Amino acid sequence: MASSESKVPLIIDGRRTDGRDMEDLRALRVEVGVIPEADGSAYIEWGGNKIVCGVYGPRECIPRHGASPYHALIKCRYMMSPFASLEEHSRSGPSRRSTELSKVIREVFENLIIAEKFPNTQIDVYIDVLQADGGTRTASVTVAAVALANAGIPMKDMVSAVAVGKAGGMLALDLNKIEDNFGQSDMPLAISHRDKRLLLVQMDGLLTREEVATILEMAERGCDKVHEVQADALKRFYQKGEGETFKW
Amino acid sequence: MERRIILPGEKIAEGRLSAPNTYYDGAVTYAAVIGMVDDEGRYIPLENRYRPAVGDVVVGMVTDVRHAGYEVELNLPHGGFIPTRDVRLTLQLGDFVICRVKMVNEVGDVDLGEVRRLPKGKIIEFPSAKVPRLIGKKSSMIGLLKDYTGGDIMVGNNGYVWMSEKSDMPLLLKAIAMIERKAHKSGLTDEIANFLRSQVGDKPRTPAGGEPQEGMEPEVGQGESGEETGYGSGQSESESSGDNYGQQ
Repeated sequence: MASSESKVPLIIDGRRTDGRDMEDLRALRVEVGVIPEADGSAYIEWGGNKIVCGVYGPRECIPRHGASPYHALIKCRYMMSPFASLEEHSRSGPSRRSTELSKVIREVFENLIIAEKFPNTQIDVYIDVLQADGGTRTASVTVAAVALANAGIPMKDMVSAVAVGKAGGMLALDLNKIEDNFGQSDMPLAISHRDKRLLLVQMDGLLTREEVATILEMAERGCDKVHEVQADALKRFYQKGEGETFKW
Repeated sequence: MERRIILPGEKIAEGRLSAPNTYYDGAVTYAAVIGMVDDEGRYIPLENRYRPAVGDVVVGMVTDVRHAGYEVELNLPHGGFIPTRDVRLTLQLGDFVICRVKMVNEVGDVDLGEVRRLPKGKIIEFPSAKVPRLIGKKSSMIGLLKDYTGGDIMVGNNGYVWMSEKSDMPLLLKAIAMIERKAHKSGLTDEIANFLRSQVGDKPRTPAGGEPQEGMEPEVGQGESGEETGYGSGQSESESSGDNYGQQ
């Protein structure tokens, strides 16, 4: 641990690399209804992340033999643009990483969407990362929840997500890319708003039991802040009613 | 009247409330889609996906002519079906029809009856959650639109709106877009009336000498029965589609 810290100092005088306190979120902004042709859509800017999400359906299931007569299928496609970050994502399209993220995001929403009322259909959730700066999976879950609410797809609950990790030997909320790459540990969490169910838990690196307990508390507080931003975006969209649509 | 926007998962009432677009977990009823709650605790959805119910009036377009009947596009994942044995008229591909939902099975297939062909015109999509507002209290809004644009209009519960080619379509489309944007505001009928008056002048353009409509009776699709009420009205919620998403 000492060696990784000596290379990149992640905490200087109790402040993080971008000047935040340990429990500060990065700047967060959500917009609703950015794709007029989609049934529901949303856009998020979270730190350096820029992610757009479109929701379509329930619509006819393709291929048809995959349809279930008991519930709608939820299909999620997470994709990082080739220009989304500096290295590694030179080509878009399915990769090991994006397949994994599509799966974990889909599973979050399989727990929330009331799919039984739409048999033989599918609901498509398309998530495109335009710019990446660490924590895209949590930002994706956050923006997809807003897009699904905008689409009017019945859900049991709203969900927000945030990553908590260990950087420079200290627990920090909402890791950015540097902290993610050079820190000791990273734990993305998605928590439903009302009943505080954990819908996504992943972990990189090592943490003690005590640290995980603290992380869960920090994540809950962080998710409440994220939820406020989500709720505010939706309320703004439905209150204005004057038809000003989002301008890029 | 004070109205509050609530998100999916927010509590509406203790105990079971049987209203569409709600979710019941055994003790409490929650909103399943984004909506509004007024002073009396009445929940009005702002977005939903149309779910057909027996008795609904729907507008659609014939997309397939088969031996056994006609396939009709209804703004649904699968479309409806008009069995030939139930209808006398011969329909063609692309015909606009207005009909009543006769049967919906477990997997959402729709059988239609009481079919009427609609004359030449145009169909546009309107959010099905806002259809009651487009019809207005005792179809006041529809009446207003007809008077000022000089043509006939048919509104289906599925959110498809048919308008006659005789009407002033640019004006009508503008007015309908305005209703869609301001559906959650009160005093909408007056506002639309003012708007139409400013565009047309004081004299309503009543259609010249009755509409030639192939034996169409007015009670269908025009909400003349007064059962569909607006958001702002004190009357009960439209009887529309479906039960709540409770646990079975």
